[in-house]
Amino acid sequence: MNDTSKTIIFDHASIERGGTTIISDVSVALPDQRVGIIGRNGSGKSTLVRSLNGLLPISDGSLVVHGVASGEGAKKLARVTGFVFQNPDHQLIFPTALEELSFGLRQLGVGKADAKAQGLALLKEHGIVELAERPVHELSEGQKQLICILAVLIMEPKLVVLDEPFSSLDLRTRAALRRKLEQLDQQILFVSHELDALRDYDKVLWIEDGRIKQIGMPADVLAAYEDHELSGAHLHFEGAARA
Amino acid sequence: MISLYMTGNSWAHRLPARVKLLFLFVLSLLIIPFNTLWFSAALLAFVVLLYASLGRQGLEKVKAVRPLLWMMGIILLVHVFLGDIEQGITAVLRLLAMVLLANFICITTHMEALMDAVEPLFRPLRVFGISPMRMSLAVALVIRFVPVLLAVYASLQEAYKARTARANSWRLLAPFALHAIKMTDHVAEALTARGGADGFDRS
Repeated sequence: MNDTSKTIIFDHASIERGGTTIISDVSVALPDQRVGIIGRNGSGKSTLVRSLNGLLPISDGSLVVHGVASGEGAKKLARVTGFVFQNPDHQLIFPTALEELSFGLRQLGVGKADAKAQGLALLKEHGIVELAERPVHELSEGQKQLICILAVLIMEPKLVVLDEPFSSLDLRTRAALRRKLEQLDQQILFVSHELDALRDYDKVLWIEDGRIKQIGMPADVLAAYEDHELSGAHLHFEGAARA
Repeated sequence: MISLYMTGNSWAHRLPARVKLLFLFVLSLLIIPFNTLWFSAALLAFVVLLYASLGRQGLEKVKAVRPLLWMMGIILLVHVFLGDIEQGITAVLRLLAMVLLANFICITTHMEALMDAVEPLFRPLRVFGISPMRMSLAVALVIRFVPVLLAVYASLQEAYKARTARANSWRLLAPFALHAIKMTDHVAEALTARGGADGFDRS
């Protein structure tokens, strides 16, 4: 029996976007600390993980994230689930790194001075305190993505969802950020096209056409996915209709 | 994403946001009775001096007004057409001075400080059930995203120029509007992911 306070549970969950069913009847329990999610573009990966933060509602069935049911409202889900977007420019709302970090704490009711002090402390802990007052548009892509991750972590979520966050980064920056993720205590759900990044994960979930195609140990699922995707019969463009 | 803020610890950075906004407000009222060419020119020179007081990097920020120059040109042309060149130059100088002064406040003020400064102004709206925090965030976001939208337009112009050798066209307006709408979606999502404009229930 899983400890539901540390588990993601989809129970016959479906998700619609614009009247179209993107995720159909998904049932799975994910108690593992590091879970990778793979699948083609348009398979429904992003739609599935967006529901964990309450960005998309469950249209049928149910979802429980670390003891919080989707029926309790999007804000309750957002409180337990931190979400790192694919493009940092879509996530950074504030003009400086420190403001971006302290905003999350102020959302939780922390006072201005405390929020600033905690933001500075976190930047210091990660060796980037010099970025505190720098305008975010002057930062490198890697620095921006690190600020996005820290902006999520400072709110102390129980689950951190990363939706292909490293796709625009160079190899070295990806490796450095992955090392940061490995050190986290939170449950991690990592959507990625980089299969190598998921080989050390506890479990990998393969999504196809809005359903779970396979779930299991990374070695098995990744090998099956590669075989399936790289076989000649599938080497053509498709599936671009889904987000 | 581009932002206006300029890192620094100048006198202007240290001045409270409320004082800066009050100064802008008073000056915008003062320029109404003092509607002369010389006063407007002196005002613009004063504002440019404010930028110069931030150093070379600050003076560079005067260029922020460039995207508006075509609009100033149209205003001047209308006045030339109406036979009142002096009034046209006065209007352009005043507009440039006020836009630059507003920009000066933006480059020297943290968005959080700006939000704190304008929030009390919206408190009376509470009686209508409108959250002052939500309103102050909206004001701050508008200021924050003006240069971002200008950058989006510039990138569209670049893409258009690369294929047509022309820098501008009315055809860019539709994609620009779509980009702007898409951007509001992204900002809304980023806010929702962290508790929305009103934050989390703190009880």
